[in-house]
Amino acid sequence: MTEPDEIELINQAKAGSSTAFEVLVRQHYTFVYKVAFKWCRLKEDAEDITQEVFIKLARNIMDFKQSSAFKTWLYRITINTAKDLMIKKQRALKNESAYLEAEKEKSGHVDREAAMADKLISLIESLPQKLKDAALLVYSEGLSHKEAAGILDCAETTVSWRLFQVKKKLKISLKSGELI
Amino acid sequence: MKESDIKKILADNTIPEPDETVKETMIATVMAEFSKQKVTSTKKIKGKEKSNRLMSTLKSFLTYLGESTMKRRYVIPSAVTACLVVLVFGVSQLMDSNLLMEQSGNIAETPLIFTGEKAEEEFTVPEVDESAPAPQTFVVRKEKEYGHADNNKKAAKPSVARNLSQMSQQTTDKGKLMGFQQAPMMDEPSNLPSHYVGQDKFEEVDTNPVKRVVEEPISTFSVDVDTASYAFVRKMLNRGTLPPKDAVRIEELVNYFDYDYPLPVDKTKPFLPTVAVYPTPWNPDTKLLHIGIRGYGIQPDKKPKTNLVFLIDVSGSMEQPDKLPLLKNAFRMLVNTLEKSDTVSIVVYAGAAGTVLEPTRVAEKGKILSALESLNAGGSTAGGEGIRQAYALAEANHDDNGVNRVILATDGDFNVGITNMEELKGFVERKRKTGIFLSVIGFGQGNYNDALMQKLAQNGNGNASYIDNLNEARKVLVQEASATLFAIARDVKIQVEFNPARVAEYRLIGYETRLLKREDFNNDQVDAGDIGSGHRVTAIYEFSAPGSKGQLLDKLRYSNSKAAIQDSKTVNQEYAFLKIRYKNTDSDQSSLMTTPITSTHEFDSLKKVSPDIRFASAVAAYGQLLRQDSYIKDYTYDDVIRLALSARGDDPFGLRNEFINLIRLAKSARALSAQ
Repeated sequence: MTEPDEIELINQAKAGSSTAFEVLVRQHYTFVYKVAFKWCRLKEDAEDITQEVFIKLARNIMDFKQSSAFKTWLYRITINTAKDLMIKKQRALKNESAYLEAEKEKSGHVDREAAMADKLISLIESLPQKLKDAALLVYSEGLSHKEAAGILDCAETTVSWRLFQVKKKLKISLKSGELI
Repeated sequence: MKESDIKKILADNTIPEPDETVKETMIATVMAEFSKQKVTSTKKIKGKEKSNRLMSTLKSFLTYLGESTMKRRYVIPSAVTACLVVLVFGVSQLMDSNLLMEQSGNIAETPLIFTGEKAEEEFTVPEVDESAPAPQTFVVRKEKEYGHADNNKKAAKPSVARNLSQMSQQTTDKGKLMGFQQAPMMDEPSNLPSHYVGQDKFEEVDTNPVKRVVEEPISTFSVDVDTASYAFVRKMLNRGTLPPKDAVRIEELVNYFDYDYPLPVDKTKPFLPTVAVYPTPWNPDTKLLHIGIRGYGIQPDKKPKTNLVFLIDVSGSMEQPDKLPLLKNAFRMLVNTLEKSDTVSIVVYAGAAGTVLEPTRVAEKGKILSALESLNAGGSTAGGEGIRQAYALAEANHDDNGVNRVILATDGDFNVGITNMEELKGFVERKRKTGIFLSVIGFGQGNYNDALMQKLAQNGNGNASYIDNLNEARKVLVQEASATLFAIARDVKIQVEFNPARVAEYRLIGYETRLLKREDFNNDQVDAGDIGSGHRVTAIYEFSAPGSKGQLLDKLRYSNSKAAIQDSKTVNQEYAFLKIRYKNTDSDQSSLMTTPITSTHEFDSLKKVSPDIRFASAVAAYGQLLRQDSYIKDYTYDDVIRLALSARGDDPFGLRNEFINLIRLAKSARALSAQ
């Protein structure tokens, strides 16, 4: 739920207070940036997404309804913005993938644990979008299935089922990659 | 693997901390956006919250139309129809596309939130002319395009914004119809969804087809002295990747090199065409027609005074070493070639645009260099505002007898401000008429917007270059600075008329984006490329003689081709007739230069042709191989290497050697991608 102070800030921002709006942005900057980073895994992209999210916020705060929590709202905008960016990038990336692979190798980690982490992250990256959203919200953001369902606008059981799929896929993939 | 392990790995500690400078610039941008909203929000209608999104989108769109329409009563009803038709049909079109099919599932679950807002904003106040029945025309066109109806309204909601954005795109294409071009450009906040970085954009280019001389004896195009494509391709190849086909513009590859065409001596004729006909390296049954032009070189003491405005992109993405740091070095080199009386100003754009350096004479070089040095990257790109400020400075310091030029350096998009390509083009074009030209220099990769850069430079009477390393910076900004900065002829157009008695079919290699209509040649209102001091421009046609095996098109059953051949004997000796039209820099009237191309220009073997011309044909072959054009037949990269090796010449800067290495890289990248 949205905190009382936050509601006040939002109301002031809706009334046109720049100060209130700036406080809101500053309070949530790191949150949005981190979510964005988890979804796209590139600092530059995360920054672009963050900016896009806050610009959308600036344009649309007047429409914010208190019936939904502010954070849920931010989650949604951030995930959708990240998704849009990824779709656009994928089109352009065909030519670049070889290069990116090479870059990744260069900065590659040596120890087993880090390699594992890299592997996991890239596996999650490669999941279908819906599974990826559920996995990141629950595993990385530490939300409950119910909270994730609120953000993804689906039933709680859907989230649970998607996570089941995720686990199945991860197990399969990790095994074939012989990491476990 | 347990859930807890996954959670541990995915914990926040793998995320790099947000950059403080980026954060502050960003907050400034966002706050600017917020204050803009405060102003515009008073105009917006209320009651959006209670109606559903589809309706609110419609309403706000109509309000906008209504506000700007004189004939409200007549236009609105038809606009309602327009919207409904477009929304419903638009969905079915979306659903058809495989890519979006998958996506629409996602959308249905997590609806886009701001559809209403977006759609409203994207329709930037079209001022409908009273007499123009624009909306009606619009409906019909849409209906045709989108085909079948589909009443899937649930899916319709989230797709509205996308569709309207497509619509607004197309509306812009029909800009004149909607009175769009006359709309004020930058005062209206253009809230198109930001163009994300992370993609290089190229205009799609289809290779020029073979033309039959009997049907289309005339070929017309504008010269192009850009070289951006060559450097971009080089960068891709150096990474071991084949460039996208549309990034390869053959004329820009060919024009990258300096060919030793004879210089004109006489200033009244600003350039001299060099013509040659010789066997095609990649096809024994055809010949190449080579047209080379070189502009006269301005002597250093005759250099006009120069008023330069550097417009520099300092958005966050410019931070990489091959962008802003390289740019600073490049501009430092340029400043060092300027005269003391020349002036330089610097405008930067990122979150907000700002003037870093007011017009300063090069005599105070230290001041200029330290201003350059102080530039830092951070924030997003408000290119539109930046361009406006840069032109304002150039105007303030305008020198009627000098060179007034804005040099735009960027890695890509203008993602805040005027993002509409047509609007930007229009702006640059209007400014060109006041005597301020625009050069565009591209840096970096990942979000390089080649199409926009090209369009801007073309409309600003400038040229687009791409700088990927310091050596290229030296070539573009020092070695060629005089050519780039001092135009000697404007609106240079080339028209070639082929003689059907000697040429059956022809095709122009490259220049796909520079083709002109036949009637444009004599129309001085039609803009074309400029040639600078010492510039070389090369165009190559491949053609086949009547009856030769090189013909690709079937003979026409009903056309009487013999009539054309019964011309007088002298004309029969000509392959073609070359016409060049140009304007001197101080005149709006064009002059004409003509040369018949005859057997005296012909070489019967490739070996007899001058090395420079041979080298140009090697570059043309390389470009066609990269574009995977079918006309190149079974010619291979190895053949190109052999041809280029035979034509290296002096190569004082090592550019031709580098080219040969690039062919090798292309060869191995091709082999890799084929696996």
